Amino acid sequence: MSRGWVSLHRSGFNLDASWEIEPGQVLVLFGPSGAGKTTTLRSIAGLERPQRGHIEIGGRVVFDDSSSVWVAPHRRRVGYLTQQTHLFPHLNVVQNIAYSLPRSQRRGTEPRVRKLISDLRLEGLETRRTWELSGGEQQRVGLARALASAPSLLLLDEPFSSLDSELRRALRRELRSMLAESPVPVLLVTHDREEALALGDAVQVLEGGKVTATGLPLDVLGQPGQGEVARLVGVENLLRLTVSARNSRDGTMVCEGGGISLEVPLRDISASQGEACHGPEPVTVGVRSSDIIVASREPEASSARNRLQGTVVSVELRPPGYEVTLDCGTELRCHITGRALAEMNIVPGQRLWAVFKASSCFLVSEIPAGTQAPGPPDAGDTQ
Amino acid sequence: MASPSRTTIRIGNPGLGAAGAVSTIVCVLFVGIPVAALLLRAAQQDGLLASLTSGVAITALRLSVLTSLACMAIILVAGTPFAYVLARGKSPLLRVLDSLVELPIVLPPVVAGVAMLMAFGRNGVLGPSLEAVGISLPFTSAAVIFAQLFVAAPFYIRSAKLGFQSVLREYEDISQTLGVSPWSTFWRLTLPLAGPSIVTGIALAWARALSEFGATIMFAGNLMGETQTMPLAIMTAIETSLDLALALSVLLLVVAVCILTGLGLASRRSWQSRS
Repeated sequence: MSRGWVSLHRSGFNLDASWEIEPGQVLVLFGPSGAGKTTTLRSIAGLERPQRGHIEIGGRVVFDDSSSVWVAPHRRRVGYLTQQTHLFPHLNVVQNIAYSLPRSQRRGTEPRVRKLISDLRLEGLETRRTWELSGGEQQRVGLARALASAPSLLLLDEPFSSLDSELRRALRRELRSMLAESPVPVLLVTHDREEALALGDAVQVLEGGKVTATGLPLDVLGQPGQGEVARLVGVENLLRLTVSARNSRDGTMVCEGGGISLEVPLRDISASQGEACHGPEPVTVGVRSSDIIVASREPEASSARNRLQGTVVSVELRPPGYEVTLDCGTELRCHITGRALAEMNIVPGQRLWAVFKASSCFLVSEIPAGTQAPGPPDAGDTQ
Repeated sequence: MASPSRTTIRIGNPGLGAAGAVSTIVCVLFVGIPVAALLLRAAQQDGLLASLTSGVAITALRLSVLTSLACMAIILVAGTPFAYVLARGKSPLLRVLDSLVELPIVLPPVVAGVAMLMAFGRNGVLGPSLEAVGISLPFTSAAVIFAQLFVAAPFYIRSAKLGFQSVLREYEDISQTLGVSPWSTFWRLTLPLAGPSIVTGIALAWARALSEFGATIMFAGNLMGETQTMPLAIMTAIETSLDLALALSVLLLVVAVCILTGLGLASRRSWQSRS
């Protein structure tokens, strides 16, 4: 568990922030510039010293003003990546990545370094000078350098905001699948709503130095709105279904269509349309490919509500893993690791099960084209 | 620094073209003629080689090289941390120190020599106390080093400070978050990045220490083998033997050129060819 709070006062600016990140989770610190997001991150890294506060990284207290605990930045085990990346200009790519390792492991032949280089698709760039890299490559090297130090907490300060939107989406997808495999908790600072929705497991809104909202990304920042937005955000599976039953006791409802039936969290869609409407309601359900478990047999006793059998249509390389497309009546994309692929020996034509929890499904409201997408979030009032 | 085309030189303001050409020629000739004349006259001397290998020349050269090396070692060890503090510190006191550091650059060396005599001389402020513990500085090789330190150190400190200032703090921040201690960060990151400026500073300070004359003759005197460095030997020789003075001058010129070229090559790093 990584958590803490800081209170920092400096010429006309007061910051009072707190956070809590579960292992393997991505907490997004969302807010306009000048809200204190970067200062919070720097305080956690030990690059700023708040007047008051308590900071835990991976369960270890690194700062506590009341008991005068102060751990120096280089002993905090955080990975820190900023928008400008700041790759070291006197070192080449592999030397940058291996910078944090002991002297004997800095030649870039270490398995860990090799894995990062291949996961982040940096092969062939090892001996390049940092200024010869494109913006996207620089950020990937920066990420590899941060991850090479085996951090207990990854701090990302608007890591992609200097890149163009196409590249940003691609990198975001890569980052998400990398993070899905690693237990490292992440604190991501952004003022980009799309990024917050794409990467966050939880969102905290920071405005004027104060936390104004906390919760699930979709609750706090609103739903991705149009299906197009959800697609841009990088939700791989968008399923057009109709509501066939509601189970308010479980908080779920059953949606059917295209030969599949899913249990998804209950949400009163008709209420938003004013009148209660009868008959089947159309909904679009989003599921991230990394939230789907692929099994060769139907799990017998499982709490996961959704189990769909399908045929493997294709297996595509999608670093750092693979994307398996299953035809379950409707096509479902699932992200799995290379090892899983090898162990299960997945080939096209094979029959497999896709398993995921009801809570992994979320509703995407389809708004007719031409209508404005929901405006900027305001303190989580979408509920 | 590499321009895409090396064959054409573009000057921003064409009207300055003629003035620029004249200025270039004047500057080159002004430095070139005396140096060429020195070499020419030296080549015309019959006893040049004999003078070069004479006792006076060898002794003076050895003293110059040894004292300037000792001076540079002290400057590097004592000056580098100070330069770093000047570059990173924010306190008003440091700003005052920052401008005081450059005082020896504008101070005439002879005045520096007098000042050192007043501090460490027999009748100086600290002289009697030093003498009490058996230390007598004036007119020793140590005094030569003191004089060189006084005039040369500012050149190194100023250049190193600018070098450290050019290293973004963010690099050091990132390095520390990667688990590298501040001390290792200095050696592995800050020093290499500030390297070119540091080498420039060494070259400037070393050249200044080698050519030091005024403060040395004031504070250390002109004793052969003890305090008579190359510049002092040249000054002494020119009154008696032009041969020896020319030989010593050529020798000092060659040493200076070697040091500057060597350091110039060392300060060129491939990663600097950026932009």
